[in-house]
Amino acid sequence: MLEVKDATIAVGGQILATGLSFMARDGQLTCITGPEGSGKTTLLRTLMGFLPVSSGYVSVDGELLTVKSSQAFRRMMAYLPQQIQMLRHQLEPTQAPVCEPDNFGIWNPLPPKVVVSRQPAPLSPDDIYRLAEQTLQEASNKQIIIADEPAANLTPELSERMLQLLSSQADAGKTVLIASRRPLLVDHADLVIEMNQNT
Amino acid sequence: MTMELHIFLGLLLLLIPAGALFIFDRSLLRTMGIAVLRMVVQLLVLCLIVWALVKYDNIWLSLLWLVLLAVVSGVLALRRMKLPLLKFLLPVSAGLLVSALFVGAYLLLACLPAKNGFGARWFVPVMALLVGQTLTTLIRGLSTYHSALKADEQQYEFLRGNGTNHLQAVLPFVRRALQQVFAPTAANLSVMGIYAMPLLLCGIFIAGVAPINAFVVTLQLIFGCLAASVIALAVTLWLADRQLFDKFGKLQ
Repeated sequence: MLEVKDATIAVGGQILATGLSFMARDGQLTCITGPEGSGKTTLLRTLMGFLPVSSGYVSVDGELLTVKSSQAFRRMMAYLPQQIQMLRHQLEPTQAPVCEPDNFGIWNPLPPKVVVSRQPAPLSPDDIYRLAEQTLQEASNKQIIIADEPAANLTPELSERMLQLLSSQADAGKTVLIASRRPLLVDHADLVIEMNQNT
Repeated sequence: MTMELHIFLGLLLLLIPAGALFIFDRSLLRTMGIAVLRMVVQLLVLCLIVWALVKYDNIWLSLLWLVLLAVVSGVLALRRMKLPLLKFLLPVSAGLLVSALFVGAYLLLACLPAKNGFGARWFVPVMALLVGQTLTTLIRGLSTYHSALKADEQQYEFLRGNGTNHLQAVLPFVRRALQQVFAPTAANLSVMGIYAMPLLLCGIFIAGVAPINAFVVTLQLIFGCLAASVIALAVTLWLADRQLFDKFGKLQ
């Protein structure tokens, strides 16, 4: 169970939420929703201990979660980020480049060119779903599932399957916490937390 | 024959390319002349420094030279990578220095046939070779690591979010840096001696070493360069870590 009590969430000096309190319980699907820029992702990052709460607290099974202690808590968490489509290298590890010899002059070669890595090509919806499924399978022993806009880059059919996948995690007794604006996901949540500038 | 006559006879060889350019492209003659002049001055300065180091043959002086070499090489590498000097000079220079000192001392004391391992005659060329090679490694390795983290920050966040610690989360990026370092190294090593005799081997032959001994010394120096490359990259990335990530583990 993950509890947020009287929390103030701020990033870069801008307060996104004050007095925020809720409990994401085991066996339930909790959905954080709200307009774009309302702080859904920031809240999830705070709940994972990447960012501190300005006031109030976050606890997991009664244990206080802080930025310092968060590493231990994240071992209990599985995370599907908002930009999951950019995780090509998580599915396909990089290969060593094929190089031609360039170093056979009789004088010393110049220092090499700087290597600039480019963003990988985005994953297809099928691959996004496959990565999500794989991540959750590998996290079978983890109690908390956090997914940021899990259906954002999926087809309607795959969105349905993603909902089933997340619901099955909740049915298995896990705490499932998602951020989404998709009615499909919001409507199926056991608890909905509305984020807006006035929260 | 006197030294001056030797120099004069050597210079005469320049008449051949100069003559060819005079006939076919006189505009290139001036460019070539400036390039040769610059090369002569640079080589002369370099040799004067080595001459002084060998003449005084003092370990502290040699170490001071090595520190300066590491710092200057660090500045050149960072300029090439367009990374901020203030943030990265210490990690890069320390990487170059530590790797050269560690591997160089091992080579000089345990592997190479040097009677006085820390004498300037051996110390200077071995350390210069190691720093030169590791500089190449660092440019490829650090630029790959830095740009891969920037381009693929989501993967780092994903791994952290799924419970890995910072070290485990940067391992895929270290792997990419090593791939970029060793793929060209392997390509160059596999053809060494096919297209041209390695410069290092030529130098050892000129010093009068027997071919089989030259072969062994060359191998030891090349293996030393490979080892130093890995150490330099590891030390640099370790020290650069604080500059790359903030206290919340977010890439700066």
